[in-house]
Amino acid sequence: MSGQRNRLSSMRLLRTLTPDRRRTAYAFGVAILLFAVGAIVRPGFAEWSSIQAVLTVASFVGFVAAGQMFVVLIAGIDLSVPWVLNASAILLVTSSLGQDDRTLWAVMLALGLGLGVGLINGLGIALFSVPAVVMTLGMNGIMEGLTLGLSNGFTCDACSSSAPPAVRGAVVSRLFGIPADLYLWVGIILLVSFVLSFTTFGRRIYAVGNNLRASYLAGINVRATTVILYMLSGMFAAFTGIALVGYGGSPSLGIGDPYLFQSIAAVVIGGVYITGGRGHYLGVAAGSISLAVLISVLQAMNMPEYGRSIVYGVVVLLVLLLYGRERREA
Amino acid sequence: MSGPEAGRGKRRGRWSHFSAQNVPLLLAFLILAGTVIFYVVLFYASLGRFPGNFELTSTTNSALPLVFATVGQTIVFLCRGIDLSVGGMMDISNSLAAVKMQDGGIGNMVGWSAIILLIGAVGGLLNGLLVAVGRLQPIVVTLATLSIYQGIAIKILPQPGGKIPPGYTAFLTNTSYPSALIFVALLILFWLIFRRTSFGVAIYAIGNDEEAARANGVRTTRTRVGAYVLGGVFAAVAGLFLAATTTGGDATAGDSFTLTSIAAAFLGGTTIFGGRGSALGSIAGAFVLSILISVLFFAGIDPLYQSFYQGLFLILAVVIGTLVGRLVGRKR
Repeated sequence: MSGQRNRLSSMRLLRTLTPDRRRTAYAFGVAILLFAVGAIVRPGFAEWSSIQAVLTVASFVGFVAAGQMFVVLIAGIDLSVPWVLNASAILLVTSSLGQDDRTLWAVMLALGLGLGVGLINGLGIALFSVPAVVMTLGMNGIMEGLTLGLSNGFTCDACSSSAPPAVRGAVVSRLFGIPADLYLWVGIILLVSFVLSFTTFGRRIYAVGNNLRASYLAGINVRATTVILYMLSGMFAAFTGIALVGYGGSPSLGIGDPYLFQSIAAVVIGGVYITGGRGHYLGVAAGSISLAVLISVLQAMNMPEYGRSIVYGVVVLLVLLLYGRERREA
Repeated sequence: MSGPEAGRGKRRGRWSHFSAQNVPLLLAFLILAGTVIFYVVLFYASLGRFPGNFELTSTTNSALPLVFATVGQTIVFLCRGIDLSVGGMMDISNSLAAVKMQDGGIGNMVGWSAIILLIGAVGGLLNGLLVAVGRLQPIVVTLATLSIYQGIAIKILPQPGGKIPPGYTAFLTNTSYPSALIFVALLILFWLIFRRTSFGVAIYAIGNDEEAARANGVRTTRTRVGAYVLGGVFAAVAGLFLAATTTGGDATAGDSFTLTSIAAAFLGGTTIFGGRGSALGSIAGAFVLSILISVLFFAGIDPLYQSFYQGLFLILAVVIGTLVGRLVGRKR
């Protein structure tokens, strides 16, 4: 695609990359471009404090998108994200009651909830061949009903507790002037990238995503892989719920709702094929940053809600047209 | 795919084709019948009489927006697509109607209804072009256009408000007798004809095997764009019915229909893998989801748990559908 006569060395470098890595590079390009646009339309946008704020917003999308990416890599999708996230957030405060000595238990309980929902999703999809859209959509409803019902519409006594100081500290405290939350994200980026690039499990994910039948015949336990990936997705959604409570201090109903479509958008802008088998978390992280920058720029420009919504959609479409097109054979 | 089956020849092929097309549909109607019976029993148990004219009217009226949204979703499903922008298009349609029809003039109502349907077609055209010509994945295209359409709707009607003239409500969703059933009948009639037009056949052909369809002269790009256009029009109609039943406008009232239309289409036996399913099943699925809310109410279930039972019901219905499908040897 790139012009033959192009003598720019950066273009040469791009051409030496594999298509997948090129898409990751594009995703970073988009993030930087949007940052530049932000800095131009809004002086002060490129200041360190503002960049930190944007990256923090991006990290939450990035956490959810990590899980979403895992299932998208095998051509699945997880629509149960919003209420797994919300349930985990509420479970954290209601079980910890804002006390530090109960925090470890509460965090494990919340993460366990995510893993459990993911397990059910995975079993339904892998064993009963329920389409992923239906299984996770249904689970989202189940989690919504359980959360509302068991917390009595979020009016229970324990519901008014706030996040334990330990959880708050793990998200908002600063180390060398940088919010702890960003260290968490860097850790997750390294961990997920390592799993994808350097482990057998990572290779299996790509194998299953590229050709389910061939990977089955090659001896990969496709069902187990599927189940594990949905469990990871549930766990990351639950993790985000905990992080959001730590960030905001207390949960609310509906905090998970924006993260469904944002996580899918981040995954796709990050260069992951929605049909599976291609993409990397580095790109997804860049995609999350792009989305967060876009939202902040639009907010900084004092654009009204309708304008933000429209521009948001248009930018996602433009980015897709730029590098999200399918090959003919795909 | 396995050896022994291949030897049984044509009869087997015909039977598996028949079952692939009709077992899910049959199942959808069985689920509908079951839900209705359950509803009637619970209704009788709690009120000591059978549901009558009023219940039929309100059930039909409240189901209609979902019915139309689901039929649109189904047409898109049939050619291996998905339309997440249904909710956004319903928002536009719903808020535009509430803003523009306020004075209650007949010409105004007819004119704006036509304009709104046209807007639905344009929105669907945009989706279709991006998917078919732009070669983008439907799920992300319609995710982006959902955001765009939601934005436009909020621009049209920033706060819930506006008004739908009583005459309009009386025509689309009359509250005193179940005249709205006529629209269901018209929709069924439309489908029975549409299914047999070359356009309808082409949509099924693309969903079953795009390459084979193209090799047989189906204009795949045009057909796919057409399917999204129809999907957009149906979403706009759904928005009009929503406006008529709620008698007012709300730029976010349609949002929930994106996911419920997908659920209803699946309940009706249509799958996102294309080429399997029918709008008839989808209509049944949409009614099931609507009646289910009344069932839960009469069963004395805390409304807070409503989505729990809906989710559980959706998963169980699809699991049962899959198991039955395996029993009768359906390939997918």
